[in-house]
Amino acid sequence: MNTGPAIAVKGLTKDFRIGLRGLKLRAVDNVSFEIPRGQVFGLLGPNGCGKSTTLKIILGLVSPTAGEVSILGFPFATTAARSRTGFLPEAPYFHKFLSGRELVAYCARLSGVKPESVNQAVEEALALTAMTEAGDRTIGTYSKGMLQRIGLAQAIVHDPELVILDEPTAGVDPVGSAAIGQMIKAMKSKGKTIVLCSHLLGQVEQVCDRIAIMDRGKLVLEGRVDDVLTRRDQNIITVENLSPEARRAAEEALAQHGAKITSVTHPRRSLDDLFRELVTGSRDA
Amino acid sequence: MKSSLTRISWMTRLTFLEAIRQRFFAFLILLSAALVLSSVSFRFLDFGHGELKFVCDFGFGGMFLFGSVLAVVMSAQLFFAEMDNRTALTLLAKPVSRTEFLVGKFIGVWLVLGVFIFTLSTLLAIILWARCQELTAAAIEVGKAPPELSIKGLFSYTGMQWARLGVVAAMILMVASLARTFLFTVIVGSMLVVAGQLQWLAQETLLKPGDLNFFSKALLSISTYIIPNLQQFNIGDALTLDHGSVADGAVTLALFSGTCYIVVFIFIGSLIFRQREI
Repeated sequence: MNTGPAIAVKGLTKDFRIGLRGLKLRAVDNVSFEIPRGQVFGLLGPNGCGKSTTLKIILGLVSPTAGEVSILGFPFATTAARSRTGFLPEAPYFHKFLSGRELVAYCARLSGVKPESVNQAVEEALALTAMTEAGDRTIGTYSKGMLQRIGLAQAIVHDPELVILDEPTAGVDPVGSAAIGQMIKAMKSKGKTIVLCSHLLGQVEQVCDRIAIMDRGKLVLEGRVDDVLTRRDQNIITVENLSPEARRAAEEALAQHGAKITSVTHPRRSLDDLFRELVTGSRDA
Repeated sequence: MKSSLTRISWMTRLTFLEAIRQRFFAFLILLSAALVLSSVSFRFLDFGHGELKFVCDFGFGGMFLFGSVLAVVMSAQLFFAEMDNRTALTLLAKPVSRTEFLVGKFIGVWLVLGVFIFTLSTLLAIILWARCQELTAAAIEVGKAPPELSIKGLFSYTGMQWARLGVVAAMILMVASLARTFLFTVIVGSMLVVAGQLQWLAQETLLKPGDLNFFSKALLSISTYIIPNLQQFNIGDALTLDHGSVADGAVTLALFSGTCYIVVFIFIGSLIFRQREI
C-alpha cells in the first residue's frame, strides 16, 4: 500500500495567455506543498489568488506551465488518480432535469462503482449528506444548501480516498454550513483526506489539521493549524477569584491578593486575523 | 476497455436525455413533420414530375434541411451547455477521459438525430404508401403501369441521411472542441456543411483540369480530402422511386466514407479537446 502523501505539489506554476498579443498572467507561482493522508487540509486565500486554478491542475482540468503534481502516488490527470478522488466544484451546477438520486447514481457509474453496488453506494452517500428524503426531487427544485449537499454526495459516492471541496459552504446559511462541517469531520473519521477551499475561516480553523494560504499566486504560509496560530513567544495566565483590585496589581503581586494561577497557556490569534494580516500585508507592500 | 465503454454509454445516455428534452428539438421535429404531412396538399405543384416524386422530394428536402440545422445547432449547443454551465467540470473531474466525453456526446447527438430522421421517414413512408395504393388502383383501372415505390429504398436513404448527419455532428464537435463560443461554432460549422454539399464541384473540376494552375489544382485536391462530400448521401429519389438507377456500391462507398470521416473528426476533436482548459 502506498503510504506517501495524498497530494504532492512541487514547483507548480501556471501562466494564462491573455489577448491576441499573448500577454502572460501568472495565476500560480512556484507553489509547493504536501498533504499527508488522512488529514483535512485548508487551502485559503482571497478571490483570484490561484486556489481554484491549483485545484483544477491537481484534478487535471487545467495543464500546468511548470511543476509536478502527484495524487495518492499516481501522476495527476490520470484516470487512476481521478477514480480515487472526489470533487465538489465551486457553485456546483448539475443537470437540472435529473433527480438527486439519479445524479448520484450516474456519477457512481461514471466513477466505476460496480452495477450491483450502485444502489447501496447511492443510499449511503445520500444518507451521509442528509439528502435521502429529497433524493427523488429534480435538481432544479433544490435550494443552494441542497445543491451543495447533493454535490458532496456525488463527490463521495465512489468512496474516494481523497475528497476535494471547493467552497462547499458558499451561499449556504450558518446551519447548513455547520452541517457541512460535520460531514467533513465524519469523512475524516473514516480516514479520508480532505482538501477544503473556503472563506469561512472559523470553520476552517475548527475542521482543518493543516492550512496553506495563497496570495497573488504564491504560497505565503503552510503548516499545522496549531503551529501557525499559536504564539510561542507569549503566555496566558488564567487566574481565579480575580477582583478589580487584584487586576490592577496583578503583575506585581498576584499572589498577595488571594488569586491563584491555575494554568499557563500560549495565546492564540484567530485564523481570521492571521489571514487578514498576511493578505492585506502583502497587498500594502 | 469495458469500463471505458461503460463511461461512454453513460455519457451518451445523459446527452440523449438532455437533447430530447429540449424545446428546439421538439419544435424542429413538429415543424418537419408538418412539412412532410403538407406535401400531400401541395402535390398539384408537381412541375411535371410524378406525384410520388414530388412528395418524396418535399419530404426528403424537409429531412435534409431541418436535419442539418438540428445537427449543427444541437451538437454545438450540447457541447457548450456543458462548458458554460460548468457541468463539464464535475464530469471531467471523474475518471472520464476527454475522448470518452466527446465520443459520448457524439453518440448521444447522433441517436437524437436518428430519432428525428427515422420518425420523419416513417411518416413519409406512410404517406407515400397510402398515396401509392391509390395511384396503383387508378393506373390499373386505365391500363397504365403502376408507379414504382420502394419503402426499403426509402429507409436505405434514411440510413444514408443518418450517416450524413453523423458526419455533420462529428464535424461540429471537432469545431466546438477548438472554438470558444457557441456562435462561432454554429457559423463555421454551417459554412463547412455548405462546403461539404458543394464539394462534388471541386471533384468534377479536378476531372476536367482545363486551364487550372498548379496552386488551384493543389488547393482543390486538398479540399476534396479535408471536406467530406455530403452530396454523395443524397440519392433518395433513386433509392425510393427508381432503385435500378443507383450505381453499384454507391451506398456502401458513401457509408464507408462517412464512417471514416466520423472517426477522423472525433479523433482530431479529442486531440484538440485534451488541450482545452476547463
